[in-house]
Amino acid sequence: MEFTSNITFIALCQQLLVGLSRTTILFIVASGLSLVLGVLRIPNISHGSLYMIGAFLTYSISTFFGGGPTGFWLAMILAPLSVALISFIMERGLFCHLYEREHLMLLLFTFSFMLVFGDVVKIVWGSDYRSLSPPEIFQGSVSVFGLPFPRYNLFLLVIGPLVALGLWLLTNKTKIGKISRAAAVDREMVGAIGINVSWVFAEVFVIGCFLAGLGGALVAPTQNITQGMDHSIIIEAFLIVIIGGLGNIWGALLGALIFGLTDSVGILVWPQFAIVFPYVAVVIVLTFRPKGLLKSVW
Amino acid sequence: MKKFYWLIICLTAGFVLFFIGTPVHAAKAIKVGIVDCYSGPPSTYTNDVRDAFKLATDKINEKGGVLGRKIEFVTRDSKFKVDIGLSAAKELIMREEVDILMGTINSSLALGISDLAKKEKIPFLVTFSKSAKITGEKGHRYVFSMNENTIMAGKAGAAGLAKHPYVRYWIAGDDYEYGHAIADGVWKNLKQLKPDVQKLGESWWKVGEPDFTPYITAILSAKPDAVIVATGGRDCVPFLKAARATGFNKQVPFYMHTATELSTLMPLGSEAPEGVIGTSNYHFYFPDTPENKAFAKDFKDAYGRYPKVGALYGYITATFIAKAYEKAGKADTEKFIDALEGMSVDSPVGPLKMRAYDHQVMFPMFMGLTKKSPEHEFLMATDIVTIPGDVVMPTIEEIKKARCK
Repeated sequence: MEFTSNITFIALCQQLLVGLSRTTILFIVASGLSLVLGVLRIPNISHGSLYMIGAFLTYSISTFFGGGPTGFWLAMILAPLSVALISFIMERGLFCHLYEREHLMLLLFTFSFMLVFGDVVKIVWGSDYRSLSPPEIFQGSVSVFGLPFPRYNLFLLVIGPLVALGLWLLTNKTKIGKISRAAAVDREMVGAIGINVSWVFAEVFVIGCFLAGLGGALVAPTQNITQGMDHSIIIEAFLIVIIGGLGNIWGALLGALIFGLTDSVGILVWPQFAIVFPYVAVVIVLTFRPKGLLKSVW
Repeated sequence: MKKFYWLIICLTAGFVLFFIGTPVHAAKAIKVGIVDCYSGPPSTYTNDVRDAFKLATDKINEKGGVLGRKIEFVTRDSKFKVDIGLSAAKELIMREEVDILMGTINSSLALGISDLAKKEKIPFLVTFSKSAKITGEKGHRYVFSMNENTIMAGKAGAAGLAKHPYVRYWIAGDDYEYGHAIADGVWKNLKQLKPDVQKLGESWWKVGEPDFTPYITAILSAKPDAVIVATGGRDCVPFLKAARATGFNKQVPFYMHTATELSTLMPLGSEAPEGVIGTSNYHFYFPDTPENKAFAKDFKDAYGRYPKVGALYGYITATFIAKAYEKAGKADTEKFIDALEGMSVDSPVGPLKMRAYDHQVMFPMFMGLTKKSPEHEFLMATDIVTIPGDVVMPTIEEIKKARCK
């Protein structure tokens, strides 16, 4: 077995760390999708487009402020907020009238948004690649276990748990979190006790889309910002949500871990066929747990 | 009655004179139909082909065109789809009645149009598709390749790498025809030139892979002497970005075809990694000849940007068309093809020859290293070595063998 010769314990640890930083992005995007899916019951296919818009906005805002560290940090905050604003307009203008419709209608509706956003990006930013540098302190690599590890990925490793903690606090400790969980189970009951469910839905939708924008902003310095990034992420995000359990945020975390880690470890273990590893994991999970690993709210 | 008779004769004579006269006054233009992808990421490459083609034809037309005719062109956007591109090509032949077809960056579409060109007996001058099948296995009388292909890139890469002392290689690339063709090409030729090279392993990623970091860290932990990276198009940019972030270029040297091309280095700006070995057909600053300087200046004056490799392809295509018609002496397709076979033209990179046997332009390849430059915001290639066209080209025996298959 030729391919096992280069696998040392250190290489494996390092590969796991790289996988975890990818997991961070996947988790942030998938948790937003899962939140919207769980509470509003909208399979939002345009979630990936909001992620792409987040990445493009990060580029534009950062270059607008001169491309230095100030511009970078401002972009990290402003780009997800702008995406949240776009989603707020989407929800109040269009989605809020459609909650009573069938899922298929909603699915087609969000699909049309994906096409519209794709063209909007093409009109606004054109078809060229964009590339954004992280600020000076995140450039280059540090040595972890004697092998180089990009500094920006270390930053992602810090952000991931912070977002997870924030989401936990939001759903368990705040009023809106509790109401939204209740509304997910029985919308009419929540409405009957005098709570404006429509606004709760709007808030949840905006938070979910904010996460898409945040994912886009965080991924911007690591890859080229281009059309088509929406398609690849939305497929992965849906797979993660499905294996984790529809609408369950912790399921999204678990799914992202499985997806991200099988991907990076697969690359080390069997590089010729690494592409299939995460998908094989998905197949295995769905064979034994067809409804996903954790409890689905559907 | 006799008067009436005379009237008819006069009218007929008038008509005859009129019809003989018209071609002299308003000679029909030579029409070129370009089918290419002008939407989405590939337009970074194809816009340069079109713009340089226009630059060259404008110059030719100013001098009165060829054979007293002007060269006109029309474009159609294939949107990178084979069906759209093919129907556009048919429309160009039937409605626009083009004399020559040109394009396209998409290899499947290029092969499709090539079939059509063979049936319709219309010359098809391929710009930017790098499939070696176009002039190899699927070559025929009506198709010409105006750019390098994967076999040529493979030979050039191997010829360049053989001069380095590296022995233990890792191969990585796009899990797609282009990636495998380049990787196989480099490896096969390198093995011939330097039999002691070893392959430690291979990694293949999907086209459009968003994050290359895990691939690079896995390759680095195998500690190869050098890495052959066979990735193309839009994946070059994120790969180089990840290479810089992980410090790949500082630890292990790697070769990537097109790494030194402006199309790859421009979007990265000063973020691109230094010391990457790359090959390219064209640099606007190399070769440092008056012809190249003049071309780069004309292009920049006209469009406000530096010419990339596509500009060379567009420019020489126009030059070949004009010269071949002149040599043919009349606007006849078969004579045009006969004239084009074996013809040489002057170009910004020196004289280029169209090989008669397989209709492939014999491009030299430039191998260099990426390096920061004081005068530009993007990296440039240094230590450029020219690998001449006849070293890079597949031999005629190889073409014969491919066509027998």
